[in-house]
This record gives sequence, C-alpha cells and structure tokens, in this order.
Amino acid sequence: MLKRRHSLKQSEKFTGWMFMIPSLAVMAAVVAVPLLFSLIVSFYGYTFVNPTFNVFLGFGNYRTALSDPYFWHSLWVTVKFVVFVVSIEFTLGFIIALMLNRKIRFKRVYYTILTLPMVMSPVAVGLIWKMLLHPDLGVLNYFLGLIGIGPINWLADSTTAFWSVLMVDIWQQISFMILLLLAGLVSLPKEPYEAATIDGANEFQKLFYITIPLMRPVMVAAIIIRTIFAFRTFDLIYVLTRGGPGVSTEVLSYFIYRKTFMGLNLAEASATSYVLLGVVMFFVVIAFKVIYKKGEIS
Amino acid sequence: MKRWVFVILSLLVTFSLFGVTLKVLMEDVPETHIIKALLPEFEAKTGIKVEFEIVQYMDMHAKLVPQLMSPNCQYDLLEVDNYWAGEFPAAGWLEPLEKYVKRDNFDISVYLPSMLDMVGYYNGKLYMIPMYNYAMGLIYRKDVLENEELRKKYREQYGKELTVPRTLEEYVQICEFIQANTDLYGSAMQAQRGDPIVMEWSNYLFALGGDYYDEKWHPCINDEKGIKATELYIRVLKNAAPPGALSFNLDDAFRVMAQGKAFSMISYNWMVAQLEDPKKSKVAGKVALAPMPGGIGLNGGWGWAIPKNSQHKEEAWEFIKWVESPEIAKRRALMGGAPTRFDVFTDEEVVKKYPWYPKVMWLLMYAKHVPEFQYSAQMIEVVGRELSLAASGKKSIKDALDTAAKELERLSKLAGLWKK
Repeated sequence: MLKRRHSLKQSEKFTGWMFMIPSLAVMAAVVAVPLLFSLIVSFYGYTFVNPTFNVFLGFGNYRTALSDPYFWHSLWVTVKFVVFVVSIEFTLGFIIALMLNRKIRFKRVYYTILTLPMVMSPVAVGLIWKMLLHPDLGVLNYFLGLIGIGPINWLADSTTAFWSVLMVDIWQQISFMILLLLAGLVSLPKEPYEAATIDGANEFQKLFYITIPLMRPVMVAAIIIRTIFAFRTFDLIYVLTRGGPGVSTEVLSYFIYRKTFMGLNLAEASATSYVLLGVVMFFVVIAFKVIYKKGEIS
Repeated sequence: MKRWVFVILSLLVTFSLFGVTLKVLMEDVPETHIIKALLPEFEAKTGIKVEFEIVQYMDMHAKLVPQLMSPNCQYDLLEVDNYWAGEFPAAGWLEPLEKYVKRDNFDISVYLPSMLDMVGYYNGKLYMIPMYNYAMGLIYRKDVLENEELRKKYREQYGKELTVPRTLEEYVQICEFIQANTDLYGSAMQAQRGDPIVMEWSNYLFALGGDYYDEKWHPCINDEKGIKATELYIRVLKNAAPPGALSFNLDDAFRVMAQGKAFSMISYNWMVAQLEDPKKSKVAGKVALAPMPGGIGLNGGWGWAIPKNSQHKEEAWEFIKWVESPEIAKRRALMGGAPTRFDVFTDEEVVKKYPWYPKVMWLLMYAKHVPEFQYSAQMIEVVGRELSLAASGKKSIKDALDTAAKELERLSKLAGLWKK
C-alpha cells in the first residue's frame, strides 16, 4: 500500500515535470542562455566589429568598467533615482490606496484614470511630457506663468533635469504601486478591525497596529518589484534627456546602452551589466533584511 | 523528356525571379515616403517586390547590427547613414559595388564628389551609392534682416550693415543683437546631448577651419580652433538661444522656428521645405537658406548598400539601378526629395520648383563630414557628452575638449588608424 502511494506520488511528479518542461525550456532559452552568454562575453575582448573569442581578458573588462569615473557617476545617479522614485511612489501610492479603500463614489472612474498612465508606453509618455515641459511652448510653463512663476527650464538645467525626469517617472509608475497596495488592502481580513473597533481603537491606531503589520508582505513585494524596475529605467531617459545635460541624468542602463550600441563594445557592456546586477541584488537583499524582521522570513 | 526538364527549369527560374521580395529597413523621413510612393512602378517593371520597414532613426542601428552579424541578413538592401559609413565596411558587412557598376555601366560621375566621398567610397573602395543628402546650413528669417529699424540700430551699434553673416563671429554677434533688441531668439539651437549637439557644433568647428582629427589621425579637437568654436557655441547658447535649448533635438528646434519665435537656426537644408509649408509653419515665405557662416558646414547623407550576407544581391542591385536612374532621381527631387547628383540639382524643372536647390548644391560641394571609421558612433557619443558637460557649466571648455581628445585618440588607435 505504502509502496503504491509512493509510486503514485512519483508518477505525479513525473507528470508535473512533463508539464513544466516546455516552459522551462523556453525560460532557459530566453533567460539563462543570454545571461550565460553575456557572462562569458564579459571575460573576452568581444566587440561587434570583431565578434570573436580570441582575446581572453579575464577581469580586464570589469577593471576598465570600474575605473571609469563616468561609470561611478552614473551608478550614483541611478541609486539616487531609485531611492527617490521608490520612496516617493511608495508613500504617495500607499496614501492614495488607503483613500481609495473606503466606500466612496465614482471609485471606478478613479481606477480608470489611475490605470491610464500605466498602460501607456514609456516612450509615448516621454514624448508627451517633453511637449508639456517645453520651456517656451509647453503648457506647464504657460500655467505657471499665469500665476506669476517665471519659466522653469525643466529639462535643460543640470539640477532641474533630474527632478523633472523623476516627476515624469512617478506620474507614470505610481499607479502600479497604488494597484498593488490596493489589492493587498482589499484582501485584508475584516475581523481584526471589528475587534479593534469594539476595543475602542481610533483610525490611526488601526492603521499602525493592524493595517501596516498585516500589509507587510505586500509592501515588501511592491517595493522590491518597483526597485528592480526602477534600476532598469531607460526609455524615459532616452526620450527626455539622453542622459543630459552633461551627464546629470545618465542612469546605468543608458550608460550600458551607449557602450553596446554606440561603442559596439559588447564585452565591456556585459561586464558593466553584471556590476549592475550585483548592485540590484545588494539592494534587494537589504530591502528583505530591513523589512522582514528576524524569524519572519521563514 | 529533355524538353520537359527545360520547361520546368525555365518556369522555376522565372518564378524565383518573380517571387523575390526585397526587405529594406528605412528611416521615417520624407525621402522614404517619396520612394515608397514610386515602388509600384518598380514592381510592375521587374516583378521584384519591395517591402519597406519604416522606423525611427534611433532604432535603426540597434536593429541593423545583429542582422549584419548573422549568417543571413533579414534585409536584402540597406540605407546607410554617414555615421555608419566607416563602421559597416570596416566590419566587412557590405558588398563592394565596383563590379556591379562596371558590369552595367552605371554612371557614378554624376554624383557630387563630396557625396561619393561621404557615402560612396570607404578606403578607396566603392561600397555605397549616394541616396540623399542632409547637409547643414544657415536658415534665417529674411523679414528680420529687412527690418529698417533694426538695421538702423545695428548700424549705430556696430558701424556696419545688418546682412546675412559671412563669418561665424558675425553670426554670433547678429544672434545676440537680435535677441537683445527684439522678442525673437537669435538661434533655435539643438543642443541635446548626443548627436544633436555634435552635429550643430561641428558646423561651428568646420566654419573656423577646425577638425576632429589631423591627417595622422591625432585628435585636434582641443586645439585653439576647437576651443574658440566651443566658446562661440556656448556664447550663443547662453545669450541667444531659447532657454531649453540644452535639451532640444531637431524637432524641438524646428517647432521654435516654425512658431516664428526665432531669427535663425543652423540646421538641415531640407528643413527649408518644411518651414515654407504654411500647414506646418507660421513663417512660410519668410525664410531663406545660406551657407554656414564661414563657408564650410557639416555634410550628412545616406547611401544605398547591399549587405554581404544578403540573399538577393542581384535584385538589390536592380533596385538601386532603378531608384538612382536619372528619371526616378529627378522625380524624387520634384516630389521634395534631397538629391545627390549634379544633373538633378541643375535640372530646369527642379530649379523652377525649388529655387534654393542650386544653393544646396553649393552647400554640399563645400561641406565636410565627420570622420568615418569603425568608431564614428562612439566618437559622436563621447564628444556629445563632453560638449553637453561644458555647455551646462559642469566642466570648463578646455577640460571637456581635453577629455574628448583623449578618448578620440584611444578610438583612432583602437581602429589602427593612428600614425606616428
């Protein structure tokens, strides 16, 4: 009897694998193979002009990448960008999600409006905002001019440009945060709130002692996903500033793009990408550590 | 039996000829749409189908490189920008065209030498046939220069007439004067980091007689001419350009000009036709084209080429022969295209329709192009970055150009061009 159950379990496992194999194969082909290829490439003198594995450089590409001051600059820009984008989007997103998670009218209208930016392609968003932010012909400066605020040089000033890009990114991506957090809020159990109401807790106490602790897993997921996406921001920068003025908005993904398609140096670009991967991993691990307190992770 | 084999074979040959579809990656610009409109004629004449995949410029290089590296190129025919006119042949991706030209007596003597030099020959070998040009020049507002009040003021201030500038210094001065004395911007600039700023700035550099490299491929971008060109460029950017110019590309600059908010722009000659179109511009009838002040501006253009790994080389050449034949070249020009040949530029009908075309030919004859080698695209990125740093005040002009020169030297050494 026991043996039969064992074999049943095994055949179930086998069927499971059979179902998994096609998708695993596709995943391996589109994720693992390129990852492995770029890892190998990053140790050679492989360029588009000379696409061979004749020259082994070891960690040479990594050394070149790490000794480039512009690399460090764009790493700093990226980290700054990610930290601001994620924290602002999370805070605003959470507030808006809480506001939407009540019995209010026109909820569906709000949902629709909030989802709109998210379904637009970042390139379209970039182009639209570029027009809105145009210093002379843009609508934004026109309205600011009506209330007496002088024309702001949104994208062409090396300090303002960073914040302008940040603003556009938040405008587009905040709906993702809101929807994710809202989904979490909607699925929270009602009982703790009822108990708390009976015990005489006020709204703030409910928020800090019930909602936030219960929401922690959703929050972690939201922050981590958003962090990973934010590290990859490319389209907006490409359309709005191309990393300029100077190098003030040059994030690492754009830096790598330049190395690949302008410099044709796939090897160095791959090495830089692996450094970026390391940085993202580092941040994600930190995020896990900070948000999950000891023991909770299991 | 033999006869049947013959019939089947000849049928097969005809079918294979008729069944061919040429795939071409094209940039989304007026010239592409002009040629697209003429395609049915080519198909009717030869039975070869042509399919254009039309995309934005910024997507093209990234799409082409993997195809050119693969064993079978998805595109049978290419249009090659002059930025890549060194890189593609150097990497061995293009089919040499001499044997086709000789075999079919294709006349290349009608092309302007500057065009052939830019998008024809690479290292003395013919790889491309010039397709269209986008040489840059000065586009200015005639009505502003004719304004009596301004002219008087200018005479009082500088002791000379307000006319179309002949030197770069004069241009800068006039731009500053106009911005200070009217509500117009002096120059609608395109100083976005990357190719926009490099293209515009190259006009300033060439106008002063400067260059990227000397004849031994040592960078000379940071000599006194380079520094002076950059100083003047930044002076216009600070005193005589729209406030957001540091993030403008050609479209943004065009909009400012088309809205009638600027006196001039250093831009592509085909912009004149757009600015003269009352549907797109408020200044139609008021603009004119002149050579870059100082005489030498930046040349630019595209050439037809056949990838070495193309599967339909003969058909591709057939298409080039057709699209560059005198009749079709002339018809393209009449439809608003930008020619590359003497005979079309001086054609009576063409000149009647576009009176400024002889001027464009003059522009083309003297214009210079950016150095063409494996790493042109990277060179432009580096120079674009450093110029943008200098223009936004993050680096001194000297520092920025020195850094650029250092990287340029690395690139010419890497390409094996640097000589002792």
